[in-house]
Amino acid sequence: MKKRIFTLCLALIMAAGTITGCGSNKTKETEKTSLKGTGIQSEDKKVKEELVFVNYRDIRDLNPHLYAGEMYAQDMLYDTLVTITKDGYEGGLAESWDISEDGKVYTFHIRKGVYFSDGEICDANAIKANFDAIIQNKERHTWLEMMNLLVGVEAPDEKTFVIKLSQPYYPLLTELGVTRPFAMISPKAMIDGGTKDGVKEYIGTGPYVLKEFETDKYAVFEVNEKYWGNKPAIKKITVKVIPDNQTRILALEKGEIDLIYGKNMIDADAISKYTDSKDVSVAMSDATSTRHLVLNTTNDILSDTNVRKALQQATDKKAISEGIFYGLEEPADYLYAKSIPYCNVDLKPYEYNLEVANQLLDEAGWTKKNSEVREKDGKKLELDLLYNSDSVTEKSIAELLQSEYKEIGVQINITGQEEQSYRDNMKAGNFDIVFNICWGTPYDPQSSLSAMTAPVYGDYAAQQGLENKAEIDDAIEKILVSTDETKRQELYKYVLTSLHQDAVYIPLTYERNKAIFSSELEGVTFTQSQYEVPFYRMNFK
Amino acid sequence: MKAYIFKRILTTIPLLLCVSFLCFVFINLIPSDPAEVALRVRQTPVITEEAIEEVREELRLNDPYFVRYIRWLGDCLTLDFGVSYTNPSRTVLGEISRCLPATVWLAGASLLFVIILSLPIGFLCAVYQNSWFDKLMRALIFMTTAMPAYWIGLLLIWLVSIQWDLLPTSGSGSIRHMILPAFTVSLTYISTYIRLIRNNMLENMKEDYVLYAKVRGLKQKNILVRHILKNSLHTCIVAIGMSIPQLIAGTIVVENVFAWPGLGKLCIESIFNRDYPVIQIYVLLIGTLFVIFNLLFDIIQYLADPRLRGER
Repeated sequence: MKKRIFTLCLALIMAAGTITGCGSNKTKETEKTSLKGTGIQSEDKKVKEELVFVNYRDIRDLNPHLYAGEMYAQDMLYDTLVTITKDGYEGGLAESWDISEDGKVYTFHIRKGVYFSDGEICDANAIKANFDAIIQNKERHTWLEMMNLLVGVEAPDEKTFVIKLSQPYYPLLTELGVTRPFAMISPKAMIDGGTKDGVKEYIGTGPYVLKEFETDKYAVFEVNEKYWGNKPAIKKITVKVIPDNQTRILALEKGEIDLIYGKNMIDADAISKYTDSKDVSVAMSDATSTRHLVLNTTNDILSDTNVRKALQQATDKKAISEGIFYGLEEPADYLYAKSIPYCNVDLKPYEYNLEVANQLLDEAGWTKKNSEVREKDGKKLELDLLYNSDSVTEKSIAELLQSEYKEIGVQINITGQEEQSYRDNMKAGNFDIVFNICWGTPYDPQSSLSAMTAPVYGDYAAQQGLENKAEIDDAIEKILVSTDETKRQELYKYVLTSLHQDAVYIPLTYERNKAIFSSELEGVTFTQSQYEVPFYRMNFK
Repeated sequence: MKAYIFKRILTTIPLLLCVSFLCFVFINLIPSDPAEVALRVRQTPVITEEAIEEVREELRLNDPYFVRYIRWLGDCLTLDFGVSYTNPSRTVLGEISRCLPATVWLAGASLLFVIILSLPIGFLCAVYQNSWFDKLMRALIFMTTAMPAYWIGLLLIWLVSIQWDLLPTSGSGSIRHMILPAFTVSLTYISTYIRLIRNNMLENMKEDYVLYAKVRGLKQKNILVRHILKNSLHTCIVAIGMSIPQLIAGTIVVENVFAWPGLGKLCIESIFNRDYPVIQIYVLLIGTLFVIFNLLFDIIQYLADPRLRGER
């Protein structure tokens, strides 16, 4: 008995000892950091040149030539040769450029007096060193058509940089202008002249430099004193990591963070809650990409254009827009919004009209007999709708459509699958109807159309049943190598009109980029690339 | 006695092998191609067959299943857990050792809350059985057990951080940051232990030795603290032994709500990103912790309780 009590006490004392022991160590360590923490906060209140931003994960690997880092952070550190704006291309590291008559040689005139934040000069030689590093890892970048067409790069002198292609390729400037992989890092930061196995430091020419980085906790960016452009008003940006949606909003309410930005960072509920708030402002971008349904034309039932058209006319996009998105996402009439380059094509949208839809199905031979569901030759008009179960909104839309299509006698079975298998099935063409979202700017329309010609996404599989599939593919290929602007527009018109008339895609709503932020912050805008955050345009009141 | 301990340690080896095999099998049963997943995770916009083949080669996925398991096991024994898919520049060992301390701190702080709160409350509930205090506590226990940690966490942030403006909402770096998440984690355990202590004490009060102690004229306070409480703690200690790995595994939801950079957050992030190597090692680690703590407390119990040793 005595022995037992003794052992028990010993165990208790040991447990208590370790706990209190740990406790006291921790106090010392954390006091130090908390002092630093409060320091940052109090400075925040005095000089409003410091912004606290939030993301659901940390910045990860900011190697500009690979794809594992957060794009907004890469965009803060590095510059590209050209910048994509609403009105076309603007000079970046290249002040101007010439394109040869045949469209195969691009000569860039490099901006003078641009230095990397480590003091290295960013001239044509540095840019050539970057391209060499990117080309070393060519396979990884072949999704950009220009990598397949690239013949070589040259730096004849320090102000001139030349790219030679085997064929003309008009989206070249767009591909050079997206955040990666064609962003420039200091050649000194490369490892043996390469970047594919990592870099020594994240040194660029961009408006900010990375000062401090604690994995999974925070990252601190400060203004790059050597930046060649106008220095931003926000001098310091701390990016905190908060994975939970609700906690982020609570932190914003408390004033611990100033800005939440991005499509997947904010839900429609939060937007509608803060629309009339005094302390928190809301900003929404123009349409960035289109939510749509893809109809599989190889399916027996859906191979009939009339059935596809009937589904188009039975889709109440307004109900989806208002009922599910509180009007934050506008109803979509076309696969690509008219604001997307080359997509302002005159097309007649399919209007919501159940009468027409019923009529089309009658014409196609699908008739209502005894049951609610239409039949033809003893077969029911029954279709599967696949959605990504990780997406809450897709499920709600699927249920809404299920009840709507029932009204015209079409039975929809909805299946949710987690993202990976949803994508696997989409790619393999294992679907009747599937949810999809366009790639968005700046990849639309050229890159996403180009992906339709190869079996990499669901589009290729879904379009196989089209009679004019070969012609559409041919036109898409011609678009990419065209040098004549009018001809290119003609070809786009042909492709977009064909896809619209074939009724392969049912556009639902236009997705928009969103931000909610402290009302003291001004200049929260959106760029052409939906993954960038233009901190350099922001300032505090 | 040595023979017993030796035997117990030996039996854990096949158990650990089973755990490791199950970890490997379950992850590999997921019907997606890990190479394609890795590419998607690295945000390669267009995934071509060539790119997939290249990554398969890089991740050595072309070998037969069993060969991969044996190689993985061998690597694990030398603490070489491979590289994260999401961040190829980070090793899995580095990720785990970066996140483990934060979770151990959180679990430790929660344990402290559990002990500080459940001991006196359980004690008082037993002493003043059926008083208003006892009834109130029982109602509270009932509520906190029923509420999910996710919700409690958010409510606490709203109340303590926003309404009262006392503590930061989330993040890490100071003791102030640790209070809310640790308290949230501890709530479930506090209710368990209050109940355990209360019931054990009530049981013990009916024992004969208590009656003798009273007859001997010992003070009521002494009887309660020195005899009844001490004897009631026995089961609690065994329970705490198993609670430690549970606490480490149970911080997942709370860490995500409070942006606490520990194992739980790493695990959730890896699941979302399909970072198979990290998930695999996380599951293996937690499994191993359970096996080891089970072994440890079995041995402690064996040492502490002569009846188990068969001694008289």
